[in-house]
Amino acid sequence: MPAVASRSTPPRAMPWSVAARAVLSLALCFYFSAVVLAPLAGPPPASELANWLIQPFRPFIGGLYLGHGYRFFAPDPGPGHSIRWSMQLSDGSPLKGSIPDPTSDWPRLLYHRRFMVSEKIAAFVPMSDAPEAIRSKARLDWQPLVKGVAGHLLKEHGGTQITLTLVEHFLPAPEEVLRSQQDPDLLTPLGTYAIPTDRSR
Amino acid sequence: MSLTPPTISGTIHAGQVCGPWPLESSSRASDSWAAQWLHAWNAFWFAPADPLPLGLVRIATGILLAWSSAVWLLDASAFFGTGGWLPAENVWRMNDQPWQWSLYFPFSSAAAVSWVTLITLLAAVLLAIGLATPLAAAVALVGFISAANRAPLNVFGFDDVLGMLLIGLVVGPAGAACSIDSQLWRSRGGCRLSSRANLAIRLIQVHLCVIYFFSGCGKLLGASWWEGTALWGAIANLQYRTLDLMWLAGHPLVVNGLTLATLFWEVLYPVLIWPRLTRRLVLAMAVLVHLGIGLSMGMMEFGLVMLVANMAFMPADTCRNLLFLPAKIPPTVP
Repeated sequence: MPAVASRSTPPRAMPWSVAARAVLSLALCFYFSAVVLAPLAGPPPASELANWLIQPFRPFIGGLYLGHGYRFFAPDPGPGHSIRWSMQLSDGSPLKGSIPDPTSDWPRLLYHRRFMVSEKIAAFVPMSDAPEAIRSKARLDWQPLVKGVAGHLLKEHGGTQITLTLVEHFLPAPEEVLRSQQDPDLLTPLGTYAIPTDRSR
Repeated sequence: MSLTPPTISGTIHAGQVCGPWPLESSSRASDSWAAQWLHAWNAFWFAPADPLPLGLVRIATGILLAWSSAVWLLDASAFFGTGGWLPAENVWRMNDQPWQWSLYFPFSSAAAVSWVTLITLLAAVLLAIGLATPLAAAVALVGFISAANRAPLNVFGFDDVLGMLLIGLVVGPAGAACSIDSQLWRSRGGCRLSSRANLAIRLIQVHLCVIYFFSGCGKLLGASWWEGTALWGAIANLQYRTLDLMWLAGHPLVVNGLTLATLFWEVLYPVLIWPRLTRRLVLAMAVLVHLGIGLSMGMMEFGLVMLVANMAFMPADTCRNLLFLPAKIPPTVP
């Protein structure tokens, strides 16, 4: 806590003028309005009022990287995701991998940065048993992201074609752990992509 | 680098007010309600304060940003380059705000992205040691935002909090204590208590309360937090796990207790962090929760950055005691 005033001590003048403090106070109100409105209007559920109020603040929020929901491990910690890929190299040989790869992604912060790729793409991909209309609509959101990932992997490894699959890892309940029950992971195909035309099948 | 802070007593210039009595006039019972609010507002935001806590936050933030930049640098082309995880033309799909600028958009070649990241790393090191601190803080913030806005597919909570800390360090005199700058310019003397130091530390404190408030409110939406099983979801997640706590499967009441304690601590943090009576308990819980996350879920950087943010609530006197520094400031009332 900063050292601040004692009420028993004699009054002193503030170091900044009234005008300066007034301007700073307005700036503080603006700043914290932006800070509060970002999570208020951010991840759903969010009110129409918050979404309306945030509009004039959006450039400021974007410019200072303040647009966060701060919903850490919320509303419920869910299963983890990874993206499995299998690639055909230019010489015809196969290559397989995973994003993230716990065996090679080191240090741990690098692992987390790559782990976020699969987690954030997974947030766009509906469950495999969702209605076709929902899955088709969602595909418009996630497919460009997956294409980018596929293009990066093909370039990095010198491949000609790659198939990606989203893996939702089984999250056992305590009683399932006690029974040593291990259910299979849920797999969602993300498509096959090839260079140079990035055709998706 | 010496951790000796600049002396505070006996360096007040005539006409310059920097004692520990910053109120223009003390709030009196006879003052109107509005006047009392104004006094409280002024004292809270603008009272000159010891820059030591801000200096400690600066060192830790600089180290974390340097580490983050070094890790970006391990695969800079993939994170920021043209053929990376997220092509530049797709960044808008992840960034939902306008003006999400980045130096990595114009500087996108393999060499350029490495140089921009390297400059950010250098600025972070300068920030940590406190050399050319105002410039280092500004460059570090620009480099940090550039990275976060260019690679939204790769950022997480660690980056959210790191950005908040950097803004505070740009606003305040981050190099006024525990820095090479403060040693170099020591001979100039002058007042060392600073209203900007107070403003900066208050920015971090209040922003941190906002973070915990929304994080707690977000958890209240989840049934598993009410049922007391949410922590199990983190423990059993193999993608996060670095410490095997699966034995807790046989102790559901322990999981319940830990989950509910975390939930109530987080929801109440914005309230209980301010009274001196509860502050130590809240900070002690922060150490347990964030070190727990760091050790068991392999998210040490996230745990550490949250603890660094919590350092903003450490009283300056406590900082001095912990660092065996002389207490030059008279006793104060929070």
